[in-house]
Amino acid sequence: MTSSPDVPAVALHDVRKIYGTGPDPVAALDGVSLRIDPGEFVAITGTSGSGKSTLMHLVGCLDTPTSGRVTVAGEDVSTAGSDRLARLRNRSIGFVFQAFNLLPRLDVQRNIELPLVYAGVPASERRRRAAQAAAQVNLTDRLTHRPSQLSGGQCQRVAVARALVNDPALILADEPTGNLDSANGADVLRLLATLHAAGRTIVLVTHDPAVAARAARVVELSDGRVRKDAAT
Amino acid sequence: MNWLSGMLIGLQEIREHKFRSFLTMLGVILGVASLLAMFALTAGIAASWRNTMEQLGGLERIGINDKQVSLEFADLAALSPGRTLADAEALRAIPHLVSHVAPEMQAGATLSATDGATVSARITGTWPDNFTVSQHAMAAGRFLTDLDLQRGARVVVLGDAKVAELWPDEYGTDADFLGRTITINGRPFAVAGVLTRYEREQDRLRREAEARGDKAPARFAMGGRGPGGGRRDMFSWKNESVIVPLSTLYHEFRSGQADTPPMAMAKLDYLNFRVRDLTRFDETLGEVEKLLRGTRRGVDDYDFDTREDWFERMETSLRSTQLSGALIAGISLLVGGIGIANIMLASISQRVRELGVRLAVGARRRDVFLQILAESTAIGIIGGLLGLGAGVLLLDLLGRLAPLESPPVIEPSAVLISVGFASAVGVLSGLYPAWRASRLDPIAALRYE
Repeated sequence: MTSSPDVPAVALHDVRKIYGTGPDPVAALDGVSLRIDPGEFVAITGTSGSGKSTLMHLVGCLDTPTSGRVTVAGEDVSTAGSDRLARLRNRSIGFVFQAFNLLPRLDVQRNIELPLVYAGVPASERRRRAAQAAAQVNLTDRLTHRPSQLSGGQCQRVAVARALVNDPALILADEPTGNLDSANGADVLRLLATLHAAGRTIVLVTHDPAVAARAARVVELSDGRVRKDAAT
Repeated sequence: MNWLSGMLIGLQEIREHKFRSFLTMLGVILGVASLLAMFALTAGIAASWRNTMEQLGGLERIGINDKQVSLEFADLAALSPGRTLADAEALRAIPHLVSHVAPEMQAGATLSATDGATVSARITGTWPDNFTVSQHAMAAGRFLTDLDLQRGARVVVLGDAKVAELWPDEYGTDADFLGRTITINGRPFAVAGVLTRYEREQDRLRREAEARGDKAPARFAMGGRGPGGGRRDMFSWKNESVIVPLSTLYHEFRSGQADTPPMAMAKLDYLNFRVRDLTRFDETLGEVEKLLRGTRRGVDDYDFDTREDWFERMETSLRSTQLSGALIAGISLLVGGIGIANIMLASISQRVRELGVRLAVGARRRDVFLQILAESTAIGIIGGLLGLGAGVLLLDLLGRLAPLESPPVIEPSAVLISVGFASAVGVLSGLYPAWRASRLDPIAALRYE
């Protein structure tokens, strides 16, 4: 789950991400440095276009920076090829998306197992760990349901279980409450807080200051730079 | 993630979209069905030809024919006694190469049964070996024996068609024809044996089905078939046999005529022999040739009649039939493959989001590639298996609609080849869609609506 405290869960050093080439490139990130230690609960906020999505993609190992250094769980992501990125996403990152992004044709159990399939974990072990993760999000009785048979809040809890199942260095939640009503949204935030209390590293990307306020530390981006980085 | 789990995902995908998958498979199904049908039909033709060949003596049977002596040796031609029993006796000297020798003399005669009809026939005088050389089989009684030959016994072996002509009222009943007396040109002969009815396998099956009272499937009229008669086919010469010992034929019907040579010098109408070992075919022909050079006194007035050419022609025509069938099936499979590729591409663009999620949780590009490839392969294999079923139905339908001269034969190799091709089509048609899917950008895929 967490490595020793002097290895940051995530570290960015003077990271730039420039989209487009030619005379008019756009710098989505323009020299961002940031360090997130194991066990932290950090919210990244900013308006649309501030660069928070780009930051999330880099931290989530979905993309590599144009320049600068990104490390996740001590591993340098900046120059990794697609296979290594895939392995990092698989082992070190747990994603929770706004749109849940569950596979509609798999039941809850198989959805939670999905990262373990790509980690090469044998089926019996997968079942055991999926059941464990489901228990952590209180969904033990829904394992054989399909996503379409669940409420939005339940779906997001399945997604959290899926993010947990491979014991990643950090859980990356991208607007996890965006598609939920306030009660279910609060429910998911409570769940994240519980996981944080249990020692998980959580990075929460949101545009909503009220949601961001649930984190212990808020990093605010604007025009591709860190404008504010403070504990709440 | 391995091939198997990729396959399982693919199978689930197929199960979720049964109808769409079926339409996707249709090209492959039809391709495999036509491939299988083509194989089965040509194999059926080959099998029935082979069966016919065997009944006519097979590759082992070789005839010795007369040949016009070339002009430069024309003045020597009279030196050769021609095809005589001397040849036959000479062939007996190499039993390690020539297993059976059957000289034949023929004569036209009138047959009459005291309790039946009078018919005319060609009677054949021959040796007991004729039984094997001509691949005879007994329905009742026995064939000629060496003793018959030595004694010039007045015994006769009758073909099925001749029995039908001689005793039309009793033919087809349980009546026993053995031991009855018929006259041949006025001389009494005892019926020692009756030959089996020679016919093609499918004719036999059909006749037996009719005899059991089953309603035979509707077929186009094939000409009337009286009892024991039937259309003239390649077996009629066997069915119309009237066989007596060679010595009997010579003494009873040949000698006494003016200028009759002694039996050993009398001309034979046919001389056939059987090669003992087909792997020593050429060696055997060489040895026989040496012997004949002796008996014919060096005159080159003989020729071998082998079935090799016949077989070669058969193989060639089969191969060209197979080729054109394979071409049609191949085009159909190609179209099927294009269909799979097309649907896979469409299905990928429907599943961009799913693939994005898989990439996000750690699927490598090759995992996605494998998943799509496994799915198209599964479609190919299932299509192939369904195609086998369709092929069997197609053959059945063909058999009902049109008379098949030779019943189709489904060989295991044809099944393997058909399904193998279908699988290959599945793999090949999945390559491009799988490559496309594996190039997806996870970020764009996750955003995809």
